[in-house]
Amino acid sequence: MRIGVFICHCGSNIGGTVDCGKVVEIARDYPDVVYADDPMYTCAEPGQAAIEAAVKEHNLDGVVVASCTPRMHEPTFRRTVERAGLNPYMFEMANIREHVSWIGKDKEANTNKAAELVLMAVEKLRYNSPLLPKKFDVTKKVLVIGGGVAGIQAALDCAEGGVPVVMVEREATIGGKMAKLDKTFPTVDCSACILGPKMVDVAQHEKITLHAYSEVVDISGYVGNFTVKIRKKTPYVDWSKCTGCGACTEKCPSRNTPDAFNEFTGKTTAITIAFPQAIPKKAVINAPYCRKLQSGKCGICAKICPTGAVNYEMKDEIITETVGSIVAATGYDLMDWTVYEEYGGGKYPDVITALQFERLLSASGPTGGHILRPSDGKEPRSIVFIQCVGSRDKSVGRPYCSSFCCMYTAKQAVLAKDHLPDSQSYVFYMDIRAAGKLYDEFTRRAMEEYGSQYIRGRVSAIYPDGEGSYIVMGADTLMGEPIEIRADMVVLAVGIEASAGAPQLAEKLRISYDHYGFFMESHVKLKPVETNTAGVFLAGACQGPKDIPASVAQGSAAAAKVLDLFAKDKLESNPQIAHVDIVRCVDCGKCIRCCPFGAIEEVSIRGTNKAQVIETVCQGCGVCVATCPQGAIQLSHSTDNQILAEVNAICQS
Amino acid sequence: MPVLKDKELRIVGFLCNWCSYGGADTAGVARATQPTDLRIIRVPCSGRVDPLFIIKALFEGADGVLVSGCHPRDCHYSVGNYYARRRLEVVKQFLPVLGIDPRRFEYTWVSASEGQRWQQVVTDFTSQIHELGPAPRLEDAEPLLKLADMALSSLHALGTNRNAPLAELKEAIKAKLPELDCVIGWQQGYDQAHATPLFMTTPEDVDKLTWGPLNVMNPAVFLPQFKGKKVGIVVKGCDSRSVVELLQEKLINREDVVIFSMPCEGTLDMGRVNSVLGRYTRIDDIKYDDAAVTITADGKEHRFCMTEFAQGKCYSCVTPGAVIADTRLGQPVPVQPGSVTPPELAMLDAMTLEQRLGFWKGQMDRCLRCYACRNACPMCVCRDFCISDSRNPHWMNQGESPKDKLFFQTIHALHLAGRCTGCGECQRACPVGIPILALRQQIARAIGQLFDDYKSGMDQNAIPPLLTYAPEEKNIHEREWK
Amino acid sequence: MSRIRFTAANGLSGFLDFLSKQGFTVLAPVEKPATAKPSVVFEPWNKGDPVNLAKATVSPKKAVLPECETLFSFSKKRSPADLNQFELALDARPEAAPVAIFGCRPCDAAGFPALDMPYLSGLYADPYYKAKREGMLIITLTCDTGCETCFCHWVGGGPTSPKGSDILMTAIEGGYVLQAITEKGQEMLEKSGLEDGAEKFAAAEAVRKNAWASLVPAPNLSRAPEALKAVFNNTDFWIKWTSKCLSCGACTYFCPTCYCFNITDEGSPQGPKGGRRLRSWDNCMSSLYTREASGHNPRPEKYQRMRNRVSHKFWTFFENWGSYLCSGCGRCITNCPVCLDIRAIVLAAIAEAGNADTRDAGK
Repeated sequence: MRIGVFICHCGSNIGGTVDCGKVVEIARDYPDVVYADDPMYTCAEPGQAAIEAAVKEHNLDGVVVASCTPRMHEPTFRRTVERAGLNPYMFEMANIREHVSWIGKDKEANTNKAAELVLMAVEKLRYNSPLLPKKFDVTKKVLVIGGGVAGIQAALDCAEGGVPVVMVEREATIGGKMAKLDKTFPTVDCSACILGPKMVDVAQHEKITLHAYSEVVDISGYVGNFTVKIRKKTPYVDWSKCTGCGACTEKCPSRNTPDAFNEFTGKTTAITIAFPQAIPKKAVINAPYCRKLQSGKCGICAKICPTGAVNYEMKDEIITETVGSIVAATGYDLMDWTVYEEYGGGKYPDVITALQFERLLSASGPTGGHILRPSDGKEPRSIVFIQCVGSRDKSVGRPYCSSFCCMYTAKQAVLAKDHLPDSQSYVFYMDIRAAGKLYDEFTRRAMEEYGSQYIRGRVSAIYPDGEGSYIVMGADTLMGEPIEIRADMVVLAVGIEASAGAPQLAEKLRISYDHYGFFMESHVKLKPVETNTAGVFLAGACQGPKDIPASVAQGSAAAAKVLDLFAKDKLESNPQIAHVDIVRCVDCGKCIRCCPFGAIEEVSIRGTNKAQVIETVCQGCGVCVATCPQGAIQLSHSTDNQILAEVNAICQS
Repeated sequence: MPVLKDKELRIVGFLCNWCSYGGADTAGVARATQPTDLRIIRVPCSGRVDPLFIIKALFEGADGVLVSGCHPRDCHYSVGNYYARRRLEVVKQFLPVLGIDPRRFEYTWVSASEGQRWQQVVTDFTSQIHELGPAPRLEDAEPLLKLADMALSSLHALGTNRNAPLAELKEAIKAKLPELDCVIGWQQGYDQAHATPLFMTTPEDVDKLTWGPLNVMNPAVFLPQFKGKKVGIVVKGCDSRSVVELLQEKLINREDVVIFSMPCEGTLDMGRVNSVLGRYTRIDDIKYDDAAVTITADGKEHRFCMTEFAQGKCYSCVTPGAVIADTRLGQPVPVQPGSVTPPELAMLDAMTLEQRLGFWKGQMDRCLRCYACRNACPMCVCRDFCISDSRNPHWMNQGESPKDKLFFQTIHALHLAGRCTGCGECQRACPVGIPILALRQQIARAIGQLFDDYKSGMDQNAIPPLLTYAPEEKNIHEREWK
Repeated sequence: MSRIRFTAANGLSGFLDFLSKQGFTVLAPVEKPATAKPSVVFEPWNKGDPVNLAKATVSPKKAVLPECETLFSFSKKRSPADLNQFELALDARPEAAPVAIFGCRPCDAAGFPALDMPYLSGLYADPYYKAKREGMLIITLTCDTGCETCFCHWVGGGPTSPKGSDILMTAIEGGYVLQAITEKGQEMLEKSGLEDGAEKFAAAEAVRKNAWASLVPAPNLSRAPEALKAVFNNTDFWIKWTSKCLSCGACTYFCPTCYCFNITDEGSPQGPKGGRRLRSWDNCMSSLYTREASGHNPRPEKYQRMRNRVSHKFWTFFENWGSYLCSGCGRCITNCPVCLDIRAIVLAAIAEAGNADTRDAGK
């Protein structure tokens, strides 16, 4: 073999703590190495060109690049060597940046370690063989999980691109959190007015099949061919008959049902339609509160329904969809702020969340758009907004910034003044994070035009003043003095977390999630939409806190990724899959039993049974390889010999 | 090039591509300073990590090995890390019997987002290895030749079973013989004091059948070569467990095998018997009483009491009768509840790690790599395709060091994890008397402790513990390390 | 001077020490205690080491054919003069220090002349073998009795046979009589300073005579070559006689006359330790022994492999070299995990061929 080695300086990222020139010197003596160099930036155009030139000039048949993580640039360099005429798998990377130069300060140790990592790569490469992908059919249909604004955008863009979309929404209506908002920052335009038409588009688009009040139960398969099982929860109303007339909701006697859509700021009926612009506009019975379902007595809604849609016997239904790609857009939930005992822990009726305040502002909300105190229905004169309740707070396990609270607090302060011109608002903040377009101008307006009083500091306690109002005790850290404000209402900018059930869904999708349940993108900067599972993309706040414009942008980005994927009629399989050496195989069946994907079958070859890998199903995990005692099954590009070569390179040198 | 002297030790890491390798990247991006000892090998999944890689690395010079994968439930391949957890735990429990400190190997879970956790894992593991210091090498160990104490109690009475109804057994076999290609049993070998396998095809062959403590070989080893043919087999209790295991792995079909059984009261340790007999020109006579076999050679009488001369495995035997049989003859042998640690394993248990390393050095020195241990093993189903003498995969070289020879024993032992029935043929077959059964016994003990007292070869329909998993493991507490 | 010397039992270690001082590496039988099966193996002797003169478990053939030997090592280094050029280095060292085997038995000693035929005769002598063999001194202890599994006298040897030995040693009461067989043996005995043992030789001869007397008479094997030739294609015969074989290599590795080897390259020429070409024992019982690179195997079945082994020992080797490739030590029988007895196969082949003759004659 003739191997070329390229030790990247990555500017000073590597070169600063690794003596790249020395690594080159050492690498020249490695087995089969005939060329070694240390370019400044290997991934840059001149660096890649140098690789191509070296391959040709030195007749190389394998290339090792020692630079950053292969999770970043392995595809880049595989393309480079392919352009140079080599098979892309005749390439190995040594990670001397994330695993060496960035984590160690001892230059001697770093240089030594880098050289060893290069040796491992060289030794492995000597056992590489050219791999060729197989082509397989792709089902050009996408599943969008979640019908918030990100999911809606992704679905509409895909549908417009000609791809059939299956949308699954857990709630009875799509719209997500945005549907609950009254206005949006920084333009203060009506949320329903801009989201509503998009929701209608979803309902009406011929390419979109909407399964509301449904959940994904199981996902199997692989990119191009996922099989998805969806549970359609029973609404006890036959939606094919329901016209959304609302007669049932008017007559339902169970009027004390908590109203989840209104963030429990009001009450609703057991049979309900979430809000007037709901899509689909269909009634759903909230079973625990339905007298008929709980005690068998009532049945008024069934009697009143003009189309006979109510059906108390209805059961959940499991349907199966086959799709080629999946967009996860499951959004976020508010963290449980009642852990803050100092804010009353939920005991004070007029200490509410910002989302509840949003419902009070909304014309379709429980107060018809009037800001009224939940305790006595009176207008508050003094409103205190507290930011970062459950954001940037390690003490409650939420060290991250929820990203959009600063802006909506400013918006709510503006709207409060609009609604109640005599009122005064106060905002306790840690920092104002207003880094978007027109954002800082907007917060300035809240302060300067609307007279909202911004106080930099944390609130240490809220307690009732005994006269129906509350005393908010805090510190003004700019003035360096304690401060007390009497408030008729306190609005908490509660931090967000991944929506309930996100980790479980991630497990079904076989994607990673972080501590807080947010889904992991493939690369923080360069692959913010992709996941580590091919064909699964992310949109919106399920990946991390995001405001509406960012969610919409990511929804469109995910759609672009889906359309990109479906632009090909056939997909190429990853050739790094398992293969059976039929001479060695004794048909003991251990691999078949262990394969997580059912990708190994028993076939008869010239009268003897042998194991065989189904190439399009194999995902390349290698569990079978570690299971097969006679080494008859090997994973391409991660064979026993390749790993042994690396082990020996480390241990025997 | 060597590790930096006095600065670094040799630590090998196997990281799954999706979670832990990403976690290490995340730590790098965050400039989370770490010790420089670790060398990372990227694998697709922790389930890809063949436990033998760990042993290989430790044998070849690693001072520590770290495996890290996705958190349970978070595997990119859904369940790869569940399989890994079971296999890696078994390796961890296996290392001490080889004389390797189990703290030299740890496995843990780090997700791609957990850069800080990765930094902590590397820092802690590296300091753990530095505290242990450079790993003692088998090559440098002081050979220790030590004998196991065979004066042990047993779970059932050890005897010669001289009243077993052999005549009835012969009749039963003769009755079945017309339907069968052959029946496997034992006959007298080159002299009266040695038995050899018998393949009965005619009634005259059946008359040669013998029964008693000389029937040491496990006839189940021959069954797979008859797959597809109808064969009978005469079994002792231990042999029957091998039959069950072969059935479980579908290497033979139940409908093709007719099993004849009589209870066994123990078999002789022929190695020790032969060394007592010494050199003789002929066996004059062999007599059985309830407790012992008396062999007269060249006019000299030797009495071999079963309680003293039984094979090590017989002392801890809980299946004197067959686990599975079509024809059962003779009176069952009662078994006391409880367990007895087999003698060689008990001897190793009592040693320090250093002594064990020396013990294996001293023992493996004389191994000739004849592979009688492997070929006598009924569960060695790879047969002509063992990885020990393959170049692809190239696990072993042909060198003669005790290290290479011991590595083969670990291959055999780990490939038998959850499959070894403890029949002891490996050790019995060893011409130079290396007590290699103890390695398999340690694995079987670990498997039992980890997986609800699982014993292989008891139930044909059981799923072997290493070929399945549980999302929550009752007896594996891998999170306690980190 | 007499060719006969005597040493008291406690004088043996002095004699071994003398041999060491003569520059020999002395390989002597030492006992390896083991619970299951104590074994006696030949190991380099150092002053003070206890020697166990029982017949060793393992034959001493490793003195000329080590279980594994490095034929040569090789390395590839970048030329300091021209960085684009490599320098290849090959280091082959067939030379060997002289070895004295002490305390082997006549069957062990007889193995060496058998090994000499393929390794030293013909156009090419194996330099590695030759170097070891030429410097070798073999001091054999005669057997005082026969043994159930021994059959040296079937194949032209015997419990006191001098074949292959330089010095033949017999235990008598109070010590050992050492008899020089070769000039080399004579030279060593002369230098040794051991007392003259001529008058004790009669006692030794009596012991030797008793040994012969204890033997069960040997069957006539002279028809073995033609009988094995005759039954070669009798598949049923071979399957019947080999069905219990496990295809391990114990019989060949313990045999003083089996000489097959495998050659492998280990390590990397540019690795820190370079590469090594190893010659290690191989055995014809293994399927790999004949498996070709294509995957084809001319002897896929164990009966074919055992047929090869027996036929080679008692027919084809005899045809080529005029003697059996067997010294009758019986280790293949005692070490076989299933007590497979090569004598029984040879005798059965003779009987089978005889029967076939009778059948043919009757036609």
